[in-house]
Formats: sequence, structure tokens, C-alpha cells
Amino acid sequence: RYVRQLQRLQLLFSPTAADARGARQFVEEAAQDFARQHPDVVLYVSPHAGPGPAPVLRAEYLNGTVRDELIASKTSEEIVQLATKLANQSGLDIIRIRKPFHTDNPSIQGQWHPLTNKPSVLTVQGPRLQPE
Amino acid sequence: MAPSARAGPAPCARQAPPPRFRVRREVTAMAAARARRAGASLLLAAVRHRSSQSSSPQAGLVAKTSLTSPPWPEVKLPDPVEEAKYHAEVVQKVNGLIAAGHYGRLFAVVHFASKQWKITSEDLIMMDNVLEAECGDRIRMEKVLLVGADDFTLIGRPLLGKDLVRVEATVIEKTESWPKVNMRFWRRHNFQRKKIISNPQTVLRINTIEIYPCLS
Repeated sequence: RYVRQLQRLQLLFSPTAADARGARQFVEEAAQDFARQHPDVVLYVSPHAGPGPAPVLRAEYLNGTVRDELIASKTSEEIVQLATKLANQSGLDIIRIRKPFHTDNPSIQGQWHPLTNKPSVLTVQGPRLQPE
Repeated sequence: MAPSARAGPAPCARQAPPPRFRVRREVTAMAAARARRAGASLLLAAVRHRSSQSSSPQAGLVAKTSLTSPPWPEVKLPDPVEEAKYHAEVVQKVNGLIAAGHYGRLFAVVHFASKQWKITSEDLIMMDNVLEAECGDRIRMEKVLLVGADDFTLIGRPLLGKDLVRVEATVIEKTESWPKVNMRFWRRHNFQRKKIISNPQTVLRINTIEIYPCLS
């Protein structure tokens, strides 16, 4: 009952740029292995000819967030690690989370309030006696 | 000492009979002194006698001060045989409830990643470390300290048996934390180092908590 949150990985690089060497090596060697290991992630490889923007690994998640990671001047292994890291993440923003836990049902036996485990004399209000 | 003092007159050494014209005064003086001494001793003896009479019947009422009894309320422990019977009855009832399935949501206290968590099913937990399990793996948590439902709780000492509880969880994601700044600065020394740290984190979702009726 596990759904991977990563939808697709887009590898944008240019085949002639010098800093995209790692990306080219990754595409040649490790891309197929990576795709086979993560069958529920779609990997797009789109080389754009000519000088363009820096090589980028774009990750799109099921909740719509798009995350770009620069892969300029990185070796093939580093790109593989980065890709696995992105694949293991979910699309939530990486900001400070206040609590490391989240529950929908915080209390089962009833939430404590100052009158639990006290004699019921304190809570019971008898019928008002009419003044005679 | 007291009875002997009470018995006879006050001891006084016998002297030679004094000359007559002083006898009466001395006699009266001596008699008065003797009487006084006898009276005092009588009184003393009476007091001592009364006190001995009151304290000799066992543990009579000593005056109640703040130190007669300890400040904590006196607890009466129940009879061990009765207590054992009561325990057996309670265990039987709880076993019956578990076997019949008369419980709703279960919660458990689990020791995991050097922390104790109170978890229910469909619960999210995040830890600041790396687990050697891929995303989507099902994990069974073994250190269970406490399991409870609406009507009963099972408390372990300190752990509950593995054949009693089963807690299963799935690894959902393995991310990094938000980038924390680690900066060191010494004033007037031209020293500052800045480092951005992001720890690896793992998110687990608790799938199920199950109990099996094998109490004793």
C-alpha cells in the first residue's frame, strides 16, 4: 500500500557543454539501471543542442511541486545518489516541521482534564433545594 | 524506693535525748519536718503510683502529638490470597475481551530510534536517522512497552511479549531535513565559520497494531 510520490524525472542537458559531462555519462551508463530499479518513475532525457541553461534534473511530484537540482560538474555516481534521494522524497516543502509525529486520533481513552480521577462529588450538582 | 519511703517514717539517726527545756520545740520542729517529709514522700509516692497504674494496661492513650503517627496515610494491604484471586479474574476477563474482539482502536507505546512514541494506527512518525529499509518496506516494531484500548491496558515490565502484540509500519519517504545553519563566531577575532547542515530523515506510517489473547 505504498505509492511513490515521484511522478517523473526530467534530465535537461546539452550534449556539447563541458559541465554536463556527468549528465552524459549518467545517461550512457546508469540511466537504464535506475529506470529499472524504480519502475514507477518515468525518466525523460531531453538533450537540447547548443549552448543553453545549465544542466538540470527536474523532479515532479504527485502533489504538483517541481524541484530542480543542478547537476553541472557532478559525477555520474553523484547524480545517481541525487536521483535516488529525489525518488525517495515526497513533494512536501522542506521547511521546519514543528512536530515529528502526526495523529488523527490523539486520544483513545479520553483526553485528560483536571477532573478525571477525582471523586465525583466535585462534578455532580444535586437538584436545587427550594428555600422553605 | 517509693514503697520503702512510704512504709515508715523518714529515717533519722537516733540521737541522745536532748535537754528537757528544748525538747518540746525540737520535737515539734522535728515532728513537723518529719511530717513534711512524710507528706512529700506520700505525695510523690501517690503520683508515681497513679502513673504506674495508668501506663501498665498495655498501650494506653498516650497524648496524640504530631509525631505519634507517620505523616503519610496508613495503607492497608489486601489479603494476598484474595488479591491473587482478583488478579486471575481480571486477567480472565481481559483475555475474554481480547479473544472476542471487543475493543475499538488500540494505542501502543513503542521504543524506537532511542525515543518512545505513543502511536495508533494510521499514524505518521518521523525520525532523524537513516533506516536500512527501502521506501515501501513493511517493518515490525518489537520494543512495545504498553498497549491499551478503551476499557483495558496491558502494561509490560518493561516490554511486552512478541507473541502478544504486533506493530507494523511502512517506510513512506526518506528525505533530508530543512537546511539548518551551523555558525561559529568569535567577536573581535575575525573568526566565523558557516556550515549548512541537513540531516537525513525517515517518515514511517504505522499500519496496524494487533493483540493476541495469550495472557496468563
